[in-house]
Amino acid sequence: MDMRIIIGLFALTLVKATPLTLGALSGVFCERSGVVNIGIEGMMLTSAFTGFSAAFFSGSALVGIAVALATGGLLALLHAVLCIRFELNQIISGTVINLMAVGVTGYFNRVIFSGRTVPGVETLPRVEIPLLADIPFIGPILFQHQPIVFTTIILVFLVHIVLFHTPWGLRTRAVGEHPRAADTLGIDVFKVRYINVVVGGMIAGLAGAFLTLEAVGTFEKLMSNGRGFIALAAMVFGKWSPVGAFGAALLFGFAEALGVRLQIENIGIPYQFLGMLPYLLTIIVLAGVVGRSTPPAASGQPYRKE
Amino acid sequence: MKRTLLWVIIAIVALTPLMAGCGSKECDFRIGLVTDVGEVDDKSFNEAAWNATKQAADELKLSEDCRGYIETQDAKDYIPNVDSFVSEGVKVIVTSGFAMAQATNDAAKKYPDVFFIGTDQWYNEQLPNLAGLVFNEDQSGFLAGALAALMSKSGIVGGVYGTDVVPPVVYFREGYENGAKYINPNIKTLGAYHPGGLATGFTDPQWGGETAATMMDQGADVIFGAGGKTGNGALEEAAKRKVWAIGVDVDQYYTLPDSVKPYLLSSAMKAIVPGVVDLIKKAEAGSFTSGQIFGAAALAPYHDTDGSIPQAVKDKIAEITKGIADGSISTGVKK
Repeated sequence: MDMRIIIGLFALTLVKATPLTLGALSGVFCERSGVVNIGIEGMMLTSAFTGFSAAFFSGSALVGIAVALATGGLLALLHAVLCIRFELNQIISGTVINLMAVGVTGYFNRVIFSGRTVPGVETLPRVEIPLLADIPFIGPILFQHQPIVFTTIILVFLVHIVLFHTPWGLRTRAVGEHPRAADTLGIDVFKVRYINVVVGGMIAGLAGAFLTLEAVGTFEKLMSNGRGFIALAAMVFGKWSPVGAFGAALLFGFAEALGVRLQIENIGIPYQFLGMLPYLLTIIVLAGVVGRSTPPAASGQPYRKE
Repeated sequence: MKRTLLWVIIAIVALTPLMAGCGSKECDFRIGLVTDVGEVDDKSFNEAAWNATKQAADELKLSEDCRGYIETQDAKDYIPNVDSFVSEGVKVIVTSGFAMAQATNDAAKKYPDVFFIGTDQWYNEQLPNLAGLVFNEDQSGFLAGALAALMSKSGIVGGVYGTDVVPPVVYFREGYENGAKYINPNIKTLGAYHPGGLATGFTDPQWGGETAATMMDQGADVIFGAGGKTGNGALEEAAKRKVWAIGVDVDQYYTLPDSVKPYLLSSAMKAIVPGVVDLIKKAEAGSFTSGQIFGAAALAPYHDTDGSIPQAVKDKIAEITKGIADGSISTGVKK
């Protein structure tokens, strides 16, 4: 293979990993504070739609991104209220959000856009970071992308710093591991959980914006295609740490990119095999073969003050 | 709060029979469309089938109440959806898409008094009230491939496809690649099927776009997108990079965003609408043709790219079209 193909493969890996990484970061934020969020898929899909609609009618991608973030945040707030205030089963609340997303986006997509000539928005421009983009090999892989890809890489490290090197992160982890102990130390468990879930939702909203405003430029029904769930697998694979989740997302992205590559090259391996690879790896990790992956102790349990 | 919610629910329940009542006016002849999992405004085969149903109803001077559709939400609902049309007295039922063949075949056996027309469907049995409209996808794919090869400067052309679980998709691909090689035996054809099967193979524009980008990185300067929304993603990505695009199934000039139109050479079409309209009218006239019916498959008009395509290319395409029609050119695709 010549150099261009290898560079293309790695650059594509990063692009494919972007929505997965964002979804996983969203999950890390929520679960580290003790709230399970399987509604990330639905948040992504809904934000993809609202972000696209906002960008279409306002003509501004920035408005689209803002609306997508707000949508993710609002859905997450709903999830938080249901799980924290009403102590609803967190899996059910997440499922409700996923089902609702399919119905709501399908319905409004038809009501708003049916009968129009096919709507499309211009996708976010490709940015080449000065100097860095000119480095041979590394430059085209890392520094010539659309903006949300860069934001995602920055977010990975930002979330890492927030979780492990700030008082807020310490509180979050305490609330996720042992809320009672955190409470006795004067930490407002509910506040920590609300804020973390909503911030997580906004990150899922950014993943939605990636789909419509950066990757494609139109909205299609069900276009999240399970990426929110794969993101959760990446989160587990990465042992609930941002950098680990990013690594897992890169691995999944690489497997997918390689699958496409090998199919184009017409190599005799059935492409379905390569498609399976990420999920096989997840099962192996979940089974505890490559070191144990333990969720935060209080994840999924509502907290009640006594 | 609770009371308001209660009233909303009551209102919805009360309105439901009203909505159902809309379709129950008197009709001598009723036509119904059952879509595959998908919607009547999918800009693709379901929409074509619905347009055909509407057009046939108009030509037969039927009122709007005498035609209707049911959108299938889940593959297990094919048969219940057909049943509910029959119980409403629908005389001709159109079913849309490859996946409904077995259900349509079974229904035709169960209801011998109702005519069934399926698009893209092959049946195991011959029934007097059952017609399957099929297309030579390999032929329009072959023409698309020839056009791609004639327009390519790099000698590399790409194709992004839905799933190979659906035979017409495979025929499109093989036709396309053979057509390209017919023009230029040394041409390099790049192609990839979506790995997601029926579940996500046709609904993943992100994958389509990224795959097209991979091919263009490798030098492909024409992209054929044959896979619903997945293919559309590929065509949109091609247009972003100012690379020629070729659509599929319907004339995609009308089903893609404006940004793609300046780069859309043509589309490898199946003439679903005229085929279905013809069969419906024959059913109404009492001269239904059953069995497998071959509909036309051809290239769509060039539209905006007309001025960019040299006359010599157009002549060559016309010549191949003729050759395929009279049998002197074979697409080389085994079905």
